[in-house]
Amino acid sequence: MRKPRRALALAAVVALALPLSACGSGGDDGGSTDASGKVEGDITFQTWNLRANFKPYFEGVIADFEKKYPGTNVKWVDQPAEGYADKISADAAGGTLPDVVNVSPDLVAPLAKAGLALDLDKAAAKYKKEYLPGAWASHEIPGMEGTYAFPWYLNTGPLFYNKSLFKEAGLDASKPPKTYDELFADALELAEKSDGKVATLANVPTIEDFGRYGVELMNKEGTAFAFNDAKGVELLTKYKELYDAKALDSQALTATPESSGKKFLTGAVAMNPGSALDLGNFKKQAPNLYKNIGITDQITSTGKVNMYVMGVMVNAQTKRTPAAVAFAHYVTDAQNQMSFAKKVAIFPSTAGSLDDPYFTKEDGTDETRVRVAAAKSLKNAVNYTPVLFSEQMKTELRNSVAKALQGKESPKAALDNAVKACDRLLQQQG
Amino acid sequence: MASSSGTARVTGPVARVRRQLPTSPWLFAAPGLLVVGVFILYPFVSTLVNAFTDRRTLIPGEFVGLANFRELLHDEMFWIGLRNSTLYVLGVVPALVLLPLLLALLVQKNIPGIAFFRSAFYTPVVASIVVVGLIWVWLLDERGLVNSLLEAIGVGRVGFLSDQWLLLLSAMAVTVWKGLGYYMIIYLAALANVPRELHEAASVDGAGAVRRFFTVTVPAVRSTMVLVGALSSVAAFKVFSEVYLMAGPDGGPAGEDTTLVMLVQRTGTGLTGRVGYASAISVVVFVVTVALMLLVLRADRKEDA
Amino acid sequence: MSVAEKVRESPAVVDTQRRPKRVTDEHGRRIRVWELALRYLLLLAVLALTVGPFLWQLSTSLKGPTEDIFSSPPKFLPSDPTLHNYERVAETVPVWDYALNSLKVATANVVTNCVGAALAGYALARLRYRGRKVATLVFILAMLVPVESIIIAQFTTMRDLGLNNTLIGVLLPACIASMNVLLMRNAFLNLPYEIEEAAFVDGANAWQRFLRIAVPSVKGTLAVVAIFAFMGAWDDFLWPLIVLSDPDKFTLTIGLNYLHGTFANDERLAAAGTIIAVAPLIALFACLQRYFFRGVGEGAVKG
Repeated sequence: MRKPRRALALAAVVALALPLSACGSGGDDGGSTDASGKVEGDITFQTWNLRANFKPYFEGVIADFEKKYPGTNVKWVDQPAEGYADKISADAAGGTLPDVVNVSPDLVAPLAKAGLALDLDKAAAKYKKEYLPGAWASHEIPGMEGTYAFPWYLNTGPLFYNKSLFKEAGLDASKPPKTYDELFADALELAEKSDGKVATLANVPTIEDFGRYGVELMNKEGTAFAFNDAKGVELLTKYKELYDAKALDSQALTATPESSGKKFLTGAVAMNPGSALDLGNFKKQAPNLYKNIGITDQITSTGKVNMYVMGVMVNAQTKRTPAAVAFAHYVTDAQNQMSFAKKVAIFPSTAGSLDDPYFTKEDGTDETRVRVAAAKSLKNAVNYTPVLFSEQMKTELRNSVAKALQGKESPKAALDNAVKACDRLLQQQG
Repeated sequence: MASSSGTARVTGPVARVRRQLPTSPWLFAAPGLLVVGVFILYPFVSTLVNAFTDRRTLIPGEFVGLANFRELLHDEMFWIGLRNSTLYVLGVVPALVLLPLLLALLVQKNIPGIAFFRSAFYTPVVASIVVVGLIWVWLLDERGLVNSLLEAIGVGRVGFLSDQWLLLLSAMAVTVWKGLGYYMIIYLAALANVPRELHEAASVDGAGAVRRFFTVTVPAVRSTMVLVGALSSVAAFKVFSEVYLMAGPDGGPAGEDTTLVMLVQRTGTGLTGRVGYASAISVVVFVVTVALMLLVLRADRKEDA
Repeated sequence: MSVAEKVRESPAVVDTQRRPKRVTDEHGRRIRVWELALRYLLLLAVLALTVGPFLWQLSTSLKGPTEDIFSSPPKFLPSDPTLHNYERVAETVPVWDYALNSLKVATANVVTNCVGAALAGYALARLRYRGRKVATLVFILAMLVPVESIIIAQFTTMRDLGLNNTLIGVLLPACIASMNVLLMRNAFLNLPYEIEEAAFVDGANAWQRFLRIAVPSVKGTLAVVAIFAFMGAWDDFLWPLIVLSDPDKFTLTIGLNYLHGTFANDERLAAAGTIIAVAPLIALFACLQRYFFRGVGEGAVKG
């Protein structure tokens, strides 16, 4: 009987010891918020799916930094697009988060709440004025003091449309829709004329669509969601109408950004949001579409287009706070953002950079036209997606919207349920 | 390790030696037990413990008793997940018990080139599920090969990847497609043990192929069928990759195609993951799979008696 | 596991190449021509179903940028085959470095699984000691654990051992899979006791019996375990993604995932990526299939 009993005892010890080790993460508070010391030591910098296309650029930036601050050594790691949040959460839970991390605002929020993101209003306040005020503010967390990441690149883009599909439906291809009413009217027209074969939109409304439509997404205090107001219900009702008329693609409920891009490429969908980056893609992959491509502004009811913000945060537990802060600032400073922007169709978040001739002078090509228009619209653009809107909340909203579109619930009931579920998740985030 | 050989030296009569000193067998099993214990069971026990806490990814939890399990009862998504995982078992298992058997009968005869066919039928098993997912999403795409063919023969395009039920069916089809070769091999091994006298006797009696299948083949491989049933039902209930890859992380329109393990993944991972709640779902999955296994094995034992 | 014990096996799938040329069934009788034709027809139909999708993927990956890959009716053969897509994959991700990492992990996984599973399987099947049933139960339970749900706990364990971000960390959790242990156990159970009993009388100890008699008799099952181990390590995605952070250490499946993010719209490139991922496995399997089928014949894959 000796062996089994020992095995049992071992199991018991394991079970007892477990909660301790399981909760032991994040206890070790090695870092300091003081960034004023000497910039030196080894740090790790993690980016999000940028190695494949921009390896030389980042190697250059790192080499320059190491030259500027002798005694520093930056190790660059890049993670694939898929599973990035999983990767960060495993690292965060395991205490192995890199010193400097490429994040988006919704990733920063839980990290900041767990005390893993450095408050830059304290540690790097002197750099604040170098950035566009809106961009700097995008990494503030409702309910918390401070800003938790340097703003990095911004992105926004026009709405592309397929002129030949517009023409076939008897619409004036030189007059794309400018308002939501026009958009909905044109979409219904296109669906009717093509006998349901051509949809105009490929995606169900997301939280940013509600924002752009002018819906108040959260209450003023940032403690509860509010997108189930009359305006929100109105938008969803409109989408339901489009879905029933096949003006919203029948596969929209399961669409991903990739799949809807593909549909636009193949002429199954008449409009698709995109960026200057997509133009090259069209040219290469769908030359016929490229000849017929129309470009128009994002449609909003608020006059402010949506923008995506990328940030660079500093791990609050880094052992090398001065070097980490210095590097996070270095990557995102005006000069480096500008040279990055010239490599790829993104926009710098540093003050004044958007006034550079590169973003204001047209040279007649479509690429430049899109870039100049986007840069102009960025000056008052908004990141509509609330910082506290987690992956689980996005899923709740998508599922509720799908139920409304399928007619299983009324738009009002669906949004009420979504708000209720999101509020509960918000409270659980604590 | 070498030292253990000394302890196991045979000194007495065979019957007595079979009951060895305990040290050596444990040393044989030690590496396996260690790996499984440290990297599977220990994390699993920690998951069990978490099921009774409100732990989140970045926030250590507190003991909450049965609160997570109580919440499950009122969670619509949990019931959808339970429904889909159960449907998956019901849909996939009969196909995986029957089709590979027929396939094994087809490749059993040693006709020229049969080795090639056997290997070829096994290829889907070899490929990674991620690759298989990508291939089938591409095939079943609205403008993919299958729909192009359907349109060419006048059926018209079918929304395999957009309709709630078609999605689940497509995922089941992929599971069956990928599993065919695997279970075919198991049957092939079992069929080789069917004494040829049985078939010959039946032939002499004038039994046709169909009747021989039911009177000779099926009874002879019955216990293998039960085994395949047990293995495939456990795997089917834990289905994740096929549905995740084809229906997307949300689980199809309005999440209606979510399976239980997908729900575990969705609620428990990411920076805002509810580790405690997701662990509670894992516990349910575990309990059901163990129950399924016992059920199938017990049914077998009863029939035997 | 009582089922498995009940089914006694003998070598099943006979090697076809060495058979005489005459077309016969498994009982040595002639097969009628129409029946033969029907069989081949069915075989070809199943072949189209099982291998067709891979060929379609291959065809897509060989189509040039100007060729319409969405056409209806579909074109099965590329009109102007090109390896351009493969070049682009190699330019985008260091495919060879990643393949080498995958190879390292997969090879190590084969070794650890064969050795560890054979040892443990032997202990479960042949050696008598108290707690054997418990040990068997441990492996069965481990097989039932849904891996997706314990991955974070696994990661925390790995970090406590200081092995995250190493290829060893990638290897360890599956380096002796319980499925393989149970496979080996069944193979050993199916060996007649008499063989070993003779060795008992000769005074051989457990180690000698294991190495000289038992292991050589289950080579086929070892081949099955080897293939499963190689496949498992080569195909795994989520775990290496979680445990590795250094791109120099990425395995092929993670590396190829870059394609998905970077060229999401390009079916041709994605197709080339999947072919790169799957081709080595198919080649390996083609080489080992003879041993593999023999191994299965030993009753190996019986749970």
